[in-house]
Formats: sequence, structure tokens, C-alpha cells
Amino acid sequence: MNERETIDGCLAGDPLSQRAMVEAYGNLVLSVALNVIGNRQDAEDVCQETFLQVFRRLDRYDRARSFKTWLLTIAYRRSLDMLRKRRRFKEFSAKARFEPDVVGRGGNPGRADPEPVPSVLLKKLSPRERTALALWANEGYSAKDIAEVLTCSASTARVYLFNARRKIKALLENTHVLQNG
Amino acid sequence: MFCRMADLLYAALPLRPIRDWLIRSHMEGCPRCQARLLSREEARGLLVVPDRVGDPRALWPRIAARRERPGRVPETPRVAAGAAWQVAAVAALALVIAVTGFWVLREIETPTAAGPVRFEIAYVKVGGAPAQTFVYQPQGSDTVFVWAQRTP
Repeated sequence: MNERETIDGCLAGDPLSQRAMVEAYGNLVLSVALNVIGNRQDAEDVCQETFLQVFRRLDRYDRARSFKTWLLTIAYRRSLDMLRKRRRFKEFSAKARFEPDVVGRGGNPGRADPEPVPSVLLKKLSPRERTALALWANEGYSAKDIAEVLTCSASTARVYLFNARRKIKALLENTHVLQNG
Repeated sequence: MFCRMADLLYAALPLRPIRDWLIRSHMEGCPRCQARLLSREEARGLLVVPDRVGDPRALWPRIAARRERPGRVPETPRVAAGAAWQVAAVAALALVIAVTGFWVLREIETPTAAGPVRFEIAYVKVGGAPAQTFVYQPQGSDTVFVWAQRTP
């Protein structure tokens, strides 16, 4: 099933096409969410919400545009939304003076193989810089493509990407110097 | 020499069009500046790449289960932070105009109303979230100003 057929099937509400779409793009959406949020459970929630929104709003997709870029735009916005929710919850828990326990969500917390998470160095970047870096490194996106996902100008996207690459390189070099010195 | 100048300008002028011009005119083509940037391979080593997140077939059962429960996911996520602030500002302004207009019209319609009127707001939401609300009434005036802003 090619992309066009998958989209047509999803528009018709066909569960097989929806499943094909999740299997074709699920890892891509999950990796973007994971790189922006840095937390597996939240990234999985974002991934699910992204596809649910795509199925519901596929009629708004402009076929003249890249489907992958449209999908990643939704994933990026959902990731930002999740970061805002987390920040609000942190503020609330700080005000209420309690430390929230980790609440299980039906996953498998005791698994032996740790699931991949982005490097802690990436926490030094803003969510927009992290997204720009992830799209450039993983998807080979240009500043123009990144701009479409971030909903900004190409020049702004280029600056985000440049800042991200320079900051992390400097941090890596500092870490290397500290380890060797 | 030019690299140092470009760096100084980049740091001193935090304006995106100028920074973009510096990147395109010098840094993108300069091997020395490029050497101070993270390469794609280095970046991929720090990021989570799609091939490593697991089996995509595992995602479908959870999405299928949530698909059966409509209404659990908001229709549209919030867009960029700037747009959210614009919505909040417009909502706050509309609230001020509405409340002021209400009080002005109320005075015109009921000129003989006796006794002070107590003004109360039970709850204010801006952009769907509870907002900080300030009510201000100048002394000797019947006009009430309401300022609502998103909780930071």
C-alpha cells in the first residue's frame, strides 16, 4: 500500500489503512516526540494523540504539501503542548509542596533493556532547537523544511539549527576537556 | 580574522535576520566555522533515531483502543507560544471591553437604581486555562476595569 492509497483509506475510515499509516510513520513520530520531550511515556502519549488527530483531521491535509512534514508539524505541536502541561504540573506540585509519585501507565517498567532516550546534553537546548536538530540529523531536512514544521521563517529555522549545533559541539568539547584534564 | 569578526557580530546582534545573513554569507562556507559545529553523525549519536525506538507494530493496539473513545483528545493542539499569547491578549481585551460596556449601558438604562452595586467575577478563563484576574475601580467612578492574564 503506497502513501496515497494509505491516505485515501484513512480518509474513508479504513482501520487497515490507519494501521498501515501507524506502522509506516509511528517510529518517525515517536522519535521526534522523544527528542523534543525527552521522556518515553509522554512521547508515546504524544505519538498516540498525533495519529488520532491525523485520522480525525486528514481532510484538512493539502496534498500539494509533503505528508510527512504535515504529520511532523502536528507531532511537534503536540510535543510542545505536552511540555507546557508538564511545566504547569511541576509548578503546581512545587506550589502544593508535594513530590508526585511516578504513576504507572500500564507499561512494562521492569524490562531489562533500557529504551533509548536522547542525551542529557540536549536538555541545554530549547524545544525548537532540539526539533530543528532532530529533523536535520535524522531526516536530512533543510532550513526550509524545518521552518514548515516549526511554523517560522527559513531564516529563523536556520538560526535555531546553527545555535543547536554550536551549543552542543561546545558542550561536547568541554566534556572532553574535563574528562581528559 | 573574518571568523572572529563574524562571531563577534553574531554574539553582539541577537537579531535573527542578521544572524541568518552571517550564517549564509560566512559560517556555512567556512571550514573553520564548520569545524566548531556538530556534525550530522555526532548529532545522530546523541538523538534518538527512528530505527531505535522499537517495533512500530506495538503502537497500533494502543492507538486503536483510544480511537474507540472519541473526545479524549483535544481537537487541535495549541500552536506556537506567540500565537497563544496573542489569543490571550485578545481575550483579555475583549473581556475589558465587554465588562466596561456592560457597566456603561447598565447605568444608562437604570439611572434611578438605588444603592451600590457589587461587582463579582466567579471565574475567568483565558485560552482555556484559569487566568489571574485583577479588578480595578477608580474612586468616585462607576467604571470597573477587569484585567485578565494567563497564569505564568
